[in-house]
Amino acid sequence: MTGTAIKIANPASQSRIRTIISTIGLSGVGAIAVIVALSNVIARVPAGAVNAGPPSLAPDSHYAFGTDVLGRDVMSETVHALTVTFSSAVLATVIAIVIGAIAGFAAVRAPLRLGAVLRAVSGVLGALPVLLLAVVGVGLAGHDFAAVAAGLAVSPAIFNRSFDRAIALARSRHAEYARATGIPGITLLRRDLVYEVRANFINVTGRALASTTIVLATLGFLGFGAAPPHRDLGLMIAAARPNYLDVWWPALFPAVTLTMFILFARLAAALDEGEPP
Amino acid sequence: MSDAQSLLRIRDFTFAGAGAGKLKIEGFSLTLDAGGTLTLLGETGSGSGAVIRLLSQPIRRGVNVSGTIQFRDGPEQQIGGRIASGVRTAYLPGPHANVLNPRASVLSQLSLVVARKLRQPRTSATAELALVLERLPGAPTLDVLDNPPALIAPEALATGLLAAAMAQTPELLLADDPLGELSPAHARALASVLKAEQKRLGFGLLYAAARADAAKLLDGNLIVLRSGRIVEEGTVSRLATVQSHSYTQTLFRASSPDERQAPDRSVARGEPLLRVQGVQLLRRGKPKARDSLNFELRRGASLALIGEIGSGRRSLARALLGLDPVASGRIVFDQVDIGVLNPAMLARLRRRVSFITGDDDALDPRMTIFDTVAEPLRAHLAMPRDLVAHNRDAALKRVGLAALPGNRTVASLTPFDRRRLQIARAIVSQPLLTVIDEPLRGLDAFAQSVARDLLRNFRSNEGPAILFITSDFGLARAFCEDGFVFKEGRVVERGPIATLLRAPQDPHTRKLLEAVAALPIGEPSSPKPAMAPVESRSPDPI
Amino acid sequence: MWRDWLLRAAQLIGSIVGAVVLASLLATLSHPAHGLWPFLTALCERIFAAVRGDFGLSSVTGVPAMASAIDMMSFTFQLLAGGAVIALLIGIPLGILLSASRALRAAAPLIQIIAATPVFVAALALIWIAVRVLHWSGISQASALSWVDLVRSDGWSAALQAFALPALTVGAAGAASVQLSIRRAAAVAWSAPYRSGLRMMGLGALDIDLHYALPEVLAALLRDLGEIALALISATAVAEWVFNRNGAAILFLKSAALGDWNVSAAALFLFVTIALIASFAGGIASQLIVPEDRP
Repeated sequence: MTGTAIKIANPASQSRIRTIISTIGLSGVGAIAVIVALSNVIARVPAGAVNAGPPSLAPDSHYAFGTDVLGRDVMSETVHALTVTFSSAVLATVIAIVIGAIAGFAAVRAPLRLGAVLRAVSGVLGALPVLLLAVVGVGLAGHDFAAVAAGLAVSPAIFNRSFDRAIALARSRHAEYARATGIPGITLLRRDLVYEVRANFINVTGRALASTTIVLATLGFLGFGAAPPHRDLGLMIAAARPNYLDVWWPALFPAVTLTMFILFARLAAALDEGEPP
Repeated sequence: MSDAQSLLRIRDFTFAGAGAGKLKIEGFSLTLDAGGTLTLLGETGSGSGAVIRLLSQPIRRGVNVSGTIQFRDGPEQQIGGRIASGVRTAYLPGPHANVLNPRASVLSQLSLVVARKLRQPRTSATAELALVLERLPGAPTLDVLDNPPALIAPEALATGLLAAAMAQTPELLLADDPLGELSPAHARALASVLKAEQKRLGFGLLYAAARADAAKLLDGNLIVLRSGRIVEEGTVSRLATVQSHSYTQTLFRASSPDERQAPDRSVARGEPLLRVQGVQLLRRGKPKARDSLNFELRRGASLALIGEIGSGRRSLARALLGLDPVASGRIVFDQVDIGVLNPAMLARLRRRVSFITGDDDALDPRMTIFDTVAEPLRAHLAMPRDLVAHNRDAALKRVGLAALPGNRTVASLTPFDRRRLQIARAIVSQPLLTVIDEPLRGLDAFAQSVARDLLRNFRSNEGPAILFITSDFGLARAFCEDGFVFKEGRVVERGPIATLLRAPQDPHTRKLLEAVAALPIGEPSSPKPAMAPVESRSPDPI
Repeated sequence: MWRDWLLRAAQLIGSIVGAVVLASLLATLSHPAHGLWPFLTALCERIFAAVRGDFGLSSVTGVPAMASAIDMMSFTFQLLAGGAVIALLIGIPLGILLSASRALRAAAPLIQIIAATPVFVAALALIWIAVRVLHWSGISQASALSWVDLVRSDGWSAALQAFALPALTVGAAGAASVQLSIRRAAAVAWSAPYRSGLRMMGLGALDIDLHYALPEVLAALLRDLGEIALALISATAVAEWVFNRNGAAILFLKSAALGDWNVSAAALFLFVTIALIASFAGGIASQLIVPEDRP
């Protein structure tokens, strides 16, 4: 008889909480995707259109987010910048998932200990701060490849997690029993991929999206991101920085938009808020 | 029993777990005398364990309990409020109960418990523990206990837990089935130590049991529970007879099945499936001296590998399947020398092997019921979908799992359901050889009874050769014709099970037999099995 | 246990060697050689030089690259250390409170929002509060003041203003990592079966927490020290940029922007070494407190 005390928490209710959180996050990301798709409709003026209104106008009924020092409509600029950030983040996330998650999983079964070598290399890359790695990537390849650099910079951490998870699965008791009854390695790999994707796809993707967005926005703020006129949210905040102590709205609204995007991505991943694994 | 002698009296105890389908205990009453033994016997969900656990700790706010409790001549107190017990109480869990921190030393945890209960410094508590361990026969030393729980043998851990309880010189001992998951020999030994300590210290023992074996070992009084209600109460000696309630009789029969009937012989035997020639096993990387084995296992035959945990029986099974290397010798499986095969070819050979084990981690917890059963069909036989579904459904029906939704994950199943799922998976594999490893571990009486029937049914219908790993001679006799008895990595005795029962030569064999109380030792054996026993050349000297 | 320590030390040395190779590769890539063989030869030369501490010269100033990076490391170390202290002071109690109290778990959404805020946004917000609410001045102006100046009787206020916000920015980023690590470990420890088991055996909740749960939480925090260090280093880079402070991180960023890859490689190597040593030390300390199950 395995003695356990009267139950403290119901795992089913914790799972329900995470599902609700994830749904909120996915809805938020979905809403942002819709805004991005309709950006040309929602934004009243094209990106970078100066003198759309009086310069440094505070938010009012006509300009909901106000205007900046060059008279650009901050709301339109925010929508356009969100489009740039979103597209770059999605591209970076795809790269991170392919090179990180999928490759990490498959590397365990690579021949001739190649997987172990890749894990060692990825371990060293994972010891680099992601932001600095992304800066190196942009510095070597150019600003046009900021999304690729961000995706590659985030990949090592995802690769390491996937690899370690795959190793744990390969060494598990149930895998051992399966091998002892002749279940081939390819079936076990398929089994792992199917169940891991089913269970973790949204979590991994949401986590990667949040990470790449933060990296891309920071690169943009530091001047390593998308070059004008294709301003992303980070560059938009950087541009507003010299005057923001007085004219705060050109910095505030893109900052809030960026934070909401990252927040929704984290919620979609139902990122661990202290719930037991 | 006179009230003046009673140590513990519980009246109208009612407990309701949260949510639908949760445990409910209704109007439960008991009286335990000082120095007496009262066993609460019931299968999983009966409430026997819950009563012990509720009495062992402060009841949390919001838990729905009622009733009264009285210690000795003290006042009646409401259960659910703050209870002043007035008697020294100790809790005794089983070694597999996960009550200890898995990373910390068992000794440090037990010392801390004893120190707090006795309100002494830890050094004194450790000294107390050492004294008790010295007193208990077969007890481990402090050095053995100074390890995490996973590194200590279950019987040693069980004795350590008992020592910690005895060091508290309890007047009332609440035992949560500490004998339940021990092998029969160890359970018998621990029960006798427990009874000796009870005689010495005079404590009242309230014991929660899932199987009647424990009740028989401890004797005393018995309350039979079912779904939170008392079915019957009386002495063990009376309730173990045919005069008891039919449910009680079922529980007692489940723990002592009539093993006199020989295993079914529905499969014709032919060529040897497994031929072992001069195999020497490795022990910690070195050959085990004088342990060279020669035997054959024919198709449809069965061989029991009998011994305690760590005796070497699993090592042999793993070597026979090519999972571990051997120091020397030759193993031929289905006419193929497995020593010359590369890993890919060995994997193909293993497709004809299935496992049924008491290890709850044997199945992938992520997989669904349908996927678990269908996987061998898809992987080994490349069957079309409709045929896979047909075979899968038939197997699930045979084991009684057809009513469960097929998309339920293994993680959500009970241990009993997982065991049945393993049998269903084995059925569809159509194996030549099935390795059955302690299949009834952790199951309550009813579940064991059903599982036995399913295994018999599997064997008679599918007819694979069987390698049966167990520490229970009763099970070995139920399923196998021949057996090897293991001790400390060596085969100490071998031969037909009937011969081992009739005339055991080795003291270890006798010890294992004595632990299974239902089996008479030295009496004439059951009628000869229908098929010839496994051929075996005389072994090299052990 | 010694075997485990030796293995970890070997992993650390291997990782540092890997970092040397990486830094050399970065410096070599920025001066592309024609053909594979010349590239490999140049790479090997760089690696051997780097092992001797020679990371080449700065293409902007002509000064040895490693010397430039080490010169600027002083302020970065102070910022990292100050940030780490703040991260622990805020993160540990926050993590414990949020995991222990159901009521405070309602604050979890707020924590999510704070965790989702990029470091540079948080830094700008702090500057705005400092200037507009607290009426501090000269926050973003270049300053050579550091925490050492805090102990001077004159100018401690200026030093506080110069050092506090960057340290708080870095500390806040680190605190997010610290509290998450604590909460994850606490969730596991609080729900472990042994808690109720030991209670049934007679231990009190406080005893169980002090002897078993809290050490496990602390051990988990130490195991995550490498990740926390990475978060702090990234935040330091942003903080130095936003607050216009001269440290190794801003040197790295400027060198990368100017294509001075020898200096960038040297600075990057130093940062990686800090993270690796933090991870190693944390792993050893964690093993001392609670031995891990090793496969």
